[in-house]
Amino acid sequence: MTLELLQGSTAITRAAIAADCRFFAGYPMSPFTPLLESMSREMEEAGGVCINAESEIEGANMALGASAAGFRSATGSCGQGIALMQETIAEAALNETPLVVFNMARNQQDYYQCTRGGGWGDYRTITLAPKDVTEAVEHTQLLFHLADKYRAPVILYGDDLLAKTQVGVDVAPLDLPELPAKDWALDGSASGTGRSRQVWTFAMGKKNDPGPGPDGQWRRVAAKFADIEGIEARHETVHTDDAETIVVAFGSAAKFVEYVVEDLREQGHRVGLFRPITLWPFPGKALREATRGARRVLVFEMNAGQMIDDVRQYADDRDVIEFIGGVSIDESGLAFGPLLDAPVIAERILTAHTRS
Amino acid sequence: VNDSSGAAGRGPEHALMVSGIGGQGVQLMAKTLAQALTRQGRYAMLGAEYGGEMRGGPTQATVVVGDAPLRALPIVPRAQAAILMHDRFSENTLARLEPDALCVANSSVVPDGFAADWSPVTVPATELARELGAPQAGGFVMLGAYCALTGAASHDELSEAMTELLPPYRRQHAKNNARALARGAQYLAESGGDR
Repeated sequence: MTLELLQGSTAITRAAIAADCRFFAGYPMSPFTPLLESMSREMEEAGGVCINAESEIEGANMALGASAAGFRSATGSCGQGIALMQETIAEAALNETPLVVFNMARNQQDYYQCTRGGGWGDYRTITLAPKDVTEAVEHTQLLFHLADKYRAPVILYGDDLLAKTQVGVDVAPLDLPELPAKDWALDGSASGTGRSRQVWTFAMGKKNDPGPGPDGQWRRVAAKFADIEGIEARHETVHTDDAETIVVAFGSAAKFVEYVVEDLREQGHRVGLFRPITLWPFPGKALREATRGARRVLVFEMNAGQMIDDVRQYADDRDVIEFIGGVSIDESGLAFGPLLDAPVIAERILTAHTRS
Repeated sequence: VNDSSGAAGRGPEHALMVSGIGGQGVQLMAKTLAQALTRQGRYAMLGAEYGGEMRGGPTQATVVVGDAPLRALPIVPRAQAAILMHDRFSENTLARLEPDALCVANSSVVPDGFAADWSPVTVPATELARELGAPQAGGFVMLGAYCALTGAASHDELSEAMTELLPPYRRQHAKNNARALARGAQYLAESGGDR
């Protein structure tokens, strides 16, 4: 294994290329910009195309088009720009086009956006929230696989730290199961047969080849997301088995909480971490089991309290849930504020943990 | 070099924080060290924080190194060493610096008695760089001195990493940057690393 010092954005780019992503389009917005820059540096050499679009919705629609033609494609922004892409994301979900969306977020205020969706229709977006660059390299590859497997839009929830921190990494291709050929793709192969294909949200088909129509299509899509919910939830636990206090956190914030939990364990405090790796599907069943017997369930997220809704749905005893996160933004408005710091988090956890 | 122990089962990790004002070469110097350490086959992380300004704003970088996958956070709670290019914008670094940490200060800029709690090793980096005819290379003078003190990386390792990191339109600075690295190490040898 040879380590290379890579900025998180570059590591994600290499991982996307390793996963056969060959089309990327987006519009610059900090802290997503370094990802667009590294895609533009590296995609061409890999035989792909990277386009700096004229707006977020254009970038997202370009990626949707490339994907409908059968190429692994992606777009991205921060939450503010992804707000502008919601029409594309909903369409991709309902017309069943794979699409990978990188949210290099400014903070953790996009939890609702990525888990509830901002478009129309009965759809959800599989969202992976890596805790660091090394994990983002794996998640990126996994997301292209999941997008194709389920023919659905999927999201990587990153942030400023993930985008800019440089670490020694080895971008090794993941060994993922083979997927069926894309017999739905608009690749021109059915041209002239009278059986040409459609990628269409209303799925009405053609006169000589009728489709399921909106009722049939949207029922099928809803059933598919219900299935995904039962299959794709992922989580990690650290020291939860005998923990009196369990902290729930995701993404970079979970990495900080893990660090603090390890320190507090060394000092003899029975604390643990539950980390949803998929924000949707939320690992509810695992949370219920992990929190059984815990005296306190603390929720640490860098927002006013969004994931706490899911924790309240699934924790074994909702009366022991306490929020210890908060809104904390740096001066520029583009990155995390001072709350994301190990000593501050340690104090919040300890205060709750030692309260009788 | 002081090492901090990680959580049980992990190797020791070492964090160096570098701070100064934008334009002093803080980011490139820190990246040079992180790159040299990575090329030694070690695990390195570079955390960088800088304002929108190219020059004059607060700038800070953190280089963490270890011999196993790192536990360190991108914002370190504690550091075992610091390079202070300027007294301005050094508060965050000093607040995280362990009491027995190694501290190297740019005495061309910082006032006498600055960071006295850590008895800094002083290097007049800005002056030395100016004498070399490379006033922008003060950061590399400091890095040369720091690595001579700690043995973190050799001159050749640093010089190669630096050259590799320069964009094509800055290649003309490689030679002077390398001289600055050497000058820092030489100054340290002459002064004996006075604190």
